[in-house]
Amino acid sequence: MKKYTLITIFLINTYLSFGQILPGTLDVSGFPNISQTINDLVSEAGLDDTSVGFESNFDTNLITFTLDPTILMGITAASTEQNCDANVFRYSVYMYTSYVPDGFIIEAKTTFDSGFGLPAVSTYDTLPIQPLGPRGLTPENGGNYITIPRDGASAIKVFEFVGCREDIPIQFRIKPSVKVVGGNPVNFDVYYTVVGSLN
Amino acid sequence: MKYTFKYLILVVFVITTYNNFAQETINAYDPNSFILGGDQKSVPATVNLLPVAIIDVEPDPFSANTGSGTVISAEAGLPVTSGAAADLDNIWLNFTQRSNNYQPSRIYVSTNQPVPAGMTIKVEIEIGNYGVEGDFPANPRYGQITLSQAEEIIVYDFASGYTGDGVNNGYHLIYTIENPGSVSLPDGFEVQYRIK
Repeated sequence: MKKYTLITIFLINTYLSFGQILPGTLDVSGFPNISQTINDLVSEAGLDDTSVGFESNFDTNLITFTLDPTILMGITAASTEQNCDANVFRYSVYMYTSYVPDGFIIEAKTTFDSGFGLPAVSTYDTLPIQPLGPRGLTPENGGNYITIPRDGASAIKVFEFVGCREDIPIQFRIKPSVKVVGGNPVNFDVYYTVVGSLN
Repeated sequence: MKYTFKYLILVVFVITTYNNFAQETINAYDPNSFILGGDQKSVPATVNLLPVAIIDVEPDPFSANTGSGTVISAEAGLPVTSGAAADLDNIWLNFTQRSNNYQPSRIYVSTNQPVPAGMTIKVEIEIGNYGVEGDFPANPRYGQITLSQAEEIIVYDFASGYTGDGVNNGYHLIYTIENPGSVSLPDGFEVQYRIK
């Protein structure tokens, strides 16, 4: 009886260990500084400038999300790469903006399997059945632009990926109403929120 | 009962379909949504916009195939067919304008050549009829303006906006042409609108 109790505790403990998502860190590099050119302007009198829009470079922001290293008593027990190799989770990325004036539409997108998995080749890749599917990136809306809300209470999902991932490029498209005054830069903040899950 | 069940299934299907197509959102202000196994970061961004000022008359009252057809010939250079005063009744002024540093704009009207002696061309904006589309602060000049080569203000200071494109959008222009002597307009005669 004692033997079975120990086995049960072991199994429960193992399940709980595997069922816990590990802490990770999001890094966003790049500073979107986008300028409208004369070719980007509306050319038909009477129409709003939102009818045209203009794009940033495809990699205006680069997104990296990796698991934190495991440090025990000041010693690194497992590096970021080792943790990413041994622990694969699904991550959803949500976006919103703040301090954006009325009539200023901001859209964002990335492409299928953009960025780089970390590690490049993982133990997970060799599993005959990969519980979360292959390590890769799936954009929402089929990879087309998604309008980013100005309210964090309804941050919108832009893409998801499986496993740690580096340098995911984000491209923006701006559709500014003519009601937004020109001459002064429009400054705002872009928020990225990564939500991890076990399935 | 059979039909009720059928409709219930249909309603559930429609709601499920709607939810599946709806884009997924979260409350990113709530740290509980990302504190375990996730993270949040922000980056500043800057966008620089150009001012824009474009203007158009719809439809072009002096080109072929436009105008009311009951008033005068639609081709510049041809004589007015009646000695009586005439109105062009469905001409609309469209514009799109983004100001630079809140600098207001105005719209001016003039002709590119002298109006022939014996003829008078007047234009006015119909007050209160500002079309069905667009978003712009209306500030028109009241009353008729007698056209000449000297620019006259037809719309006073206004901030950024757009009128919508085409007829029934923007400012409704009413032309009045007095031509008792049936004088012809010279070739290339134009009424010009300028926004600045």
